[in-house]
Amino acid sequence: MLDAFAALMDWHNLVLLLVGTGLGIVIGAIPGLTASMLIALTLPLTFHMDPVNAVTLLIGEYVGGISGGLITAILLRMPGTPASIVTTFDGYPMAQSNRAERALALGIMASVVGGIISWGFLAGMSPALARFALKFGPWEYFTLVLMALVMLAVLAQGSLVKGLLAAALGMAFALPGIDSSIGQARLTFGSSAMLSGFGLLPVLIGAFAISQVLRDAAQPISNKKIEIPKRRLPVHLSDARTHGPNMVRSSLIGTWIGLLPGIGGNIAALVSYSTAKQLSKEPDRFGTGHEPGVVAGESANNAAIGGALIPLITMGIPGSVTEAILIGALTIHNLQPGPLLFQNAPEIAYGIIAAYLLANLFMLIMMWGAVRYIAQLVRLPRAGLLSVILVFCVVGSYAVNSSFVDVWVMIAFGVIGLGLEAARVPLGPFVIGFVLSPIAEEQLRASLMLSDGNALEIFQRPYALLFLALAVLTVAWPAILQRIARRRRVST
Amino acid sequence: MKFSSLTAGVRAGLAILALGAGLGAVGPVATGAAIAQEFPQKPIQIIVPFKPGGRTDVVARLLAEKIQQNGWLSQPMAVMNADGGAGANAVNQMRRGGDDGHTIVHWHHQALIAMAMGLGDFSLDDFKSIGYTGGGSPVWVVRADSEFDTFEQLVAHLKAEPRSLVEAVGIGTIPHFVGAMLANEAGFETRYVTANSGADRLRLILGGNADIALFAASEYLAQAEGLKPLIYFGRERLPDLPDVPTAIELGYDVSWANPNWWLAPADTPDAAIEALQGALEKAIADPEIVEYFTGNTLEPYWTPGDEAMADAQKQLEALQAVAATIQ
Repeated sequence: MLDAFAALMDWHNLVLLLVGTGLGIVIGAIPGLTASMLIALTLPLTFHMDPVNAVTLLIGEYVGGISGGLITAILLRMPGTPASIVTTFDGYPMAQSNRAERALALGIMASVVGGIISWGFLAGMSPALARFALKFGPWEYFTLVLMALVMLAVLAQGSLVKGLLAAALGMAFALPGIDSSIGQARLTFGSSAMLSGFGLLPVLIGAFAISQVLRDAAQPISNKKIEIPKRRLPVHLSDARTHGPNMVRSSLIGTWIGLLPGIGGNIAALVSYSTAKQLSKEPDRFGTGHEPGVVAGESANNAAIGGALIPLITMGIPGSVTEAILIGALTIHNLQPGPLLFQNAPEIAYGIIAAYLLANLFMLIMMWGAVRYIAQLVRLPRAGLLSVILVFCVVGSYAVNSSFVDVWVMIAFGVIGLGLEAARVPLGPFVIGFVLSPIAEEQLRASLMLSDGNALEIFQRPYALLFLALAVLTVAWPAILQRIARRRRVST
Repeated sequence: MKFSSLTAGVRAGLAILALGAGLGAVGPVATGAAIAQEFPQKPIQIIVPFKPGGRTDVVARLLAEKIQQNGWLSQPMAVMNADGGAGANAVNQMRRGGDDGHTIVHWHHQALIAMAMGLGDFSLDDFKSIGYTGGGSPVWVVRADSEFDTFEQLVAHLKAEPRSLVEAVGIGTIPHFVGAMLANEAGFETRYVTANSGADRLRLILGGNADIALFAASEYLAQAEGLKPLIYFGRERLPDLPDVPTAIELGYDVSWANPNWWLAPADTPDAAIEALQGALEKAIADPEIVEYFTGNTLEPYWTPGDEAMADAQKQLEALQAVAATIQ
């Protein structure tokens, strides 16, 4: 671990982490541009970097991207990222009653505390969890991935059916290519361009960047005037007493929610917000510009990142869409996240952990010092910004395999993404289905090869059964709740 | 290293751009007689059918740099990565680049596996072999606490109880074919479990979910802890693993020396091939390159084009026999 910090002190790494965090904050602050999009777009730039450098850059972008969202959430009531939705509840009313600086100060402090607390769990739990996960065989991996897939689909915004539909569609697009379990071409329609299937990067860039650019381009430019904060950001020593318990509690909630596959910062923020409200002596003041509201949401959404990184580096299971892209980034660098990452590439495993802590500190310094300039960046001309992004999309997709087919794939998935969003089918489960189903398929078929085709062998695998039960429960939970509610109504 | 490799990448990118521009201008005119006079006339593009960073990519970049440093060819060489489709993407790029010798491929015997499996629309007839610049061989390993200390014990066990041990392989990849050739030769049968990357194979074997796996010798040496090598697939013992017998020593006619194979389109003029051969042969004999190879469990040697093609032909027939059993 100390080695990893020492390695990070290399100036290349520090510069990249600084650039990544800064870019993340700016992109996170601009409504409509997300951390997922930023990471997908900068991924091709990292191809020729050393893997440690690449990972540092991407982690910086991730942390910055989630944190930057609070600026516009507070000043404009436009959450820069979905994770900051909760921050608008109390942050914007505070800004309107001339307390914008105070809201920003609390938001930034809470973000950093959330980040550091979840870092403690990330650094403390990961190596042990990785040793434990080494015992996992194909059955365990299959059920684990299945559980992640189901949770992501079900807990996505919108309806259960549409979430599952999106995941199924994503899985269908993952089918063409070389069937990895028998080495034969599948659904390629005789085209050699289809032999490698749809590339991860073109699909991600298409679904997240192209469709977002198209959507933004169609929207009228908002003329909302932004009030740039002028005064210093006020924090007091007494804040540690008044907000400390709330920060710690919300950070713990955030870490544990982040740990579950599929639930990201926005749910974590919502849960800790409502917990803070329930435990509060004055719940009525929440939503009117009450300071604990900002603190709860911002500690939790940052803590969720550290929580979600735990299954990512120990088992290779993504906790969110952004993490699915990070897994893609690692595999592009010939690194496989999973229990052996700590043994085979300790500089990467510990590098991620160290970079996560440093990114939080950089974020604090940058946000504290430059929040008013970052707020001004939101006024950048939209047309110029979108054209630059579009150029990056094309270059990025082409650079992966020097193949123009990938560019067409990217454009096609941009249109598909736009269509899905228009039909209110969430894009998150679509991409997760696309990323996870090849792993699930490979593991299931490996399990069946091991057991000579006997699916009942799963009953001898307690962990696999547990994951399977959780997956079934996740799907059935709404129905069970309904039934209980109905029974109650009947009995009363 | 870090930033210099970044700039190297940018430089390669620029070279490709320049190459593209050159192609557009000269294109169809630059064939036949013009080439015979002087080769090369423009930068040479090396297509690597894998992502950057793997062995094939690194070796191509090292040799290209060495050739450029010493001026063994009058034009620079630029590496382009074209991963995907079991090499189909790379072969398509090669065809598009023309057959005047300025577009070549650096591959290994995975090409033969793709042909044996009928993936992609290419065969040996599409290529002219420039030659092998060395190569490396894999080892077969079991867990360190395994009951088997020698390969004979393992075979005896599998003959007594067929399919009682699990072998981690990626079906249709090198570990599968090498293992299957050995199994056919020695007359035993294992049970397969899919594991497409070295990391997956390692995870399965260390976690106790598989019994046998194949690793490149360098992969094994990097891990070592928790593993026990039983048999090496090179023609001769590897100096880094003096106690591990080769399959040939044990009386099985199986070897797998996955070579660094340089290929050009089938109609490339002989003059161009000879110029490339001259440069590559010098590069592989260079002390720095030799040092890199021996330090990474690779053997530096030069096998000229026709000899390499004959070897590949023989290897392909053996692979086709294995492929027939799984299709």
